[in-house]
Amino acid sequence: MTALLLAGAMALLPAMTGCSKGEQTEGSPSASSSPSASTATGAASPSPAGDRFELGSEPLEFSFYGNYDWYTMPKWGGDLSSQWIKENKKVDVIAVNSGGSAMQKLSTMIVSNNLPDVIWTERDAEVEKLRAAGMLVPFDDYLDKYPNLKKWAGEETLNMLRSSDGKLYQFPNWYTSTPQGNAGYVVNSKIYKELGSPKLETTDDLYAYLKQVKEKYPDVVPFEAGEGAVGIDTMYSAFGENRTAYFTGMMGVPEGNELKSLFLDPAYRESLQFANKLYREKLMTQDAFSQNGDHVSEKVTTGRVAVFASATPTQLGARGDTALREKDPEAGYFMIWPIHKAGLDKNKIYPGNYNQLGWNVSVITKAAKNPEAIFAFLDWFTGPEGQRIIIWGPEGMYWEGAGEDGAPKFTEKFVTDPVGRNKLMDSTGDLQWNGNTTFIDQSKMKFEQTLAPDQQNWETRWQSQITWKTQMNVTEFSNLDPTKDSPEGIIAQSVNDILLKVRAQAVLNAKSEEEVAAMLDQAEKDAQKVGYAQLLKYKTDSWQENLKRIGK
Amino acid sequence: MKQQIVRFFRQWDLQIMVIPAIAFIFIFCYIPMYGVLMAFQDFSLFKGFYHSSWVGFHHFKMFFAAPELGNVMRNTVVIGLLKLCIAFPAPIVLALMLNEVRKMIFKRVIQTVSYLPHFLSWVIVSGYAISILSVDNGSLNILLEKLRLIDGPINFLSIPEYFWTILITTNVWKEIGFGSIVYLAAISGIDPNMYEAASMDGASRFKQIYLITLPSMLPVIIIFGILAIGDFLNAGFEDILLLGSNPVLRDVADVIDTYVYRIGIQNNRYSYATAAGLFKALISIGLLAMANYMARKTDNSLW
Repeated sequence: MTALLLAGAMALLPAMTGCSKGEQTEGSPSASSSPSASTATGAASPSPAGDRFELGSEPLEFSFYGNYDWYTMPKWGGDLSSQWIKENKKVDVIAVNSGGSAMQKLSTMIVSNNLPDVIWTERDAEVEKLRAAGMLVPFDDYLDKYPNLKKWAGEETLNMLRSSDGKLYQFPNWYTSTPQGNAGYVVNSKIYKELGSPKLETTDDLYAYLKQVKEKYPDVVPFEAGEGAVGIDTMYSAFGENRTAYFTGMMGVPEGNELKSLFLDPAYRESLQFANKLYREKLMTQDAFSQNGDHVSEKVTTGRVAVFASATPTQLGARGDTALREKDPEAGYFMIWPIHKAGLDKNKIYPGNYNQLGWNVSVITKAAKNPEAIFAFLDWFTGPEGQRIIIWGPEGMYWEGAGEDGAPKFTEKFVTDPVGRNKLMDSTGDLQWNGNTTFIDQSKMKFEQTLAPDQQNWETRWQSQITWKTQMNVTEFSNLDPTKDSPEGIIAQSVNDILLKVRAQAVLNAKSEEEVAAMLDQAEKDAQKVGYAQLLKYKTDSWQENLKRIGK
Repeated sequence: MKQQIVRFFRQWDLQIMVIPAIAFIFIFCYIPMYGVLMAFQDFSLFKGFYHSSWVGFHHFKMFFAAPELGNVMRNTVVIGLLKLCIAFPAPIVLALMLNEVRKMIFKRVIQTVSYLPHFLSWVIVSGYAISILSVDNGSLNILLEKLRLIDGPINFLSIPEYFWTILITTNVWKEIGFGSIVYLAAISGIDPNMYEAASMDGASRFKQIYLITLPSMLPVIIIFGILAIGDFLNAGFEDILLLGSNPVLRDVADVIDTYVYRIGIQNNRYSYATAAGLFKALISIGLLAMANYMARKTDNSLW
């Protein structure tokens, strides 16, 4: 009997190694050294080695942890889409929740050696730490077997996601090959019309317009900069070609093949001087740095804002547009082509940015019993079939059949039942872990174009007309941040403190343009004292490394 | 001594009830204390406590050499002092005032209304405060403008000079009612005969407060005073984090706890955060011991 089992185990051995290509061959060494009954059965149960894991052929269950304070995973199977997946693909996902303190939860799981199978997290240096500690499963062997990720994300994106050992550990979310993003300027159409629809193209136009608004509408905030005054960073793009808000968070501005100090960047200095002027003359919200999201939302949705700039003004803009239109069909919001300083090329102005790598990633940990099966699921999930179901629900409700690109054919009900449709789409929002942006947008656009303008979705309309054309591709600047407890990380923290402070001070307290400049000079000195040059060097090196990977 | 032991065993049923509390404190407060040793390590999550390397006083040296330290210490001490001098006596004053109110309904209403804010979280309280103090449509600015006290709105939350006042005021508003409950309880325990005797002797209401009410409350006040001094360096955390989010205020709003949170916890520098926390705890123990030593002279000390 034992001999028979042994023979069975031996026969399976080469096949098993074939399956994982000699890479971390779990099970196989133990199978050869101590061929016990348990390893033999363990090896026999998965699908024939070398083959792909067929989703739905056997039940798959894994635990999933969303590494965010705000994230609580909805119950798997609690909505129509995941219920369909649970029933038809036999996939069950068990939530591990952060309970409002993600960092502590993850630390606890690491320390107690109790990792979830999948971690959904920001694409940052912390992932690299997990990898370096040998806690993650590489995907390279699965990429060709399961074609969706490779097909839709593309080689370039995958290369950027690779870790320093050359392997791929991160499954991207909302990755894209076409421009994305919502940053820009939203304008109150009623006020705009009443003021005679003046030209709104340059910063001078904007300034003159805001002055007019202040005179005629004392209760309206002429320029709203959003929570944390992000609109000021959006406006940075107006003062230089190829400048985008992303550089302010990056704390470095590309010049040639080097990253230079943000404090000395002429465009940045000018943008703060302009913001300071708006603030001093009460043309900008006076609560720019102290208000929270609720305060902004209240102002926009009641129409007490004339121009609103931020990184995602579309969401509030759409909500405000609907709210205002209900009371007065003439009211609402529209978007304008990004403002630029006179003399600059308006086609090189990028208020926002997008990253081919998308938003965040899923990683599979070594705690997973069958990582290949989990990868197979994620790959299916990001493919056309998975995306159709998780975004628009099971077939037969809002779509029926699919075109050649896998784009769903939307039904009548998709248009006539917006309430039910939105409810369904909202219910799965937090289960979209591997959003395939290009696929979704192509499907959506194709459909929107068949609708009359007033039936079109507000956000989709402005995205296609303006924002997607004015977002900069910043993929090459990905992953420039050092780990937080490294020497460069500590410098980054200090420089960031200096930046936040000087940015607020320059806008709120400076009495003149000269004073803004003097404050920024002082900030540069302070930053150099804590090692800004070393940080810029580190970021420049990482950037150049990225360029090599992309092959530019 | 023997007597005490006999008494202890005679009360065995009562003593048993203390055991869960002792066990709780031992398990959750004493056992995890070895974690302070992290302050002397370069703690790494992946290596764990037993395999992280020891670095001696490295993190303490970094903490004391940090350029922000002077500012952080000043703010901690000033905000701590303000809370001790204003937020601590405020409930006592309220309790004394309520005690003098003769209309029971009025007293009850005031008491209820004033202690309710205690149950609101700081997120909500700070939201109120920001709304009231904001420039666009803020109630306080509108009021002052209507009264013609100011020409244009004041940006209260962007002016560092106002921050401490705003912080202490919101703190007092939130906690005054709840804090006064314990003092009202102490007052209600005073023998009414003393007041009768005093008024027969011709003592005015103020004299009665000064000579009867206050001395009778003194043991409670002293105990809470000792605790407040021990809490001195806990200048605040949530309130400061939420009300002082404007970067312009950092110079006046950064205290030890917010600094540790920002630098240590948010950046995974656990050892550094532990070192700073340990430093704070040591000072707090010193202060507590000092306050207790002084209180012993009045026979009302904690130990």
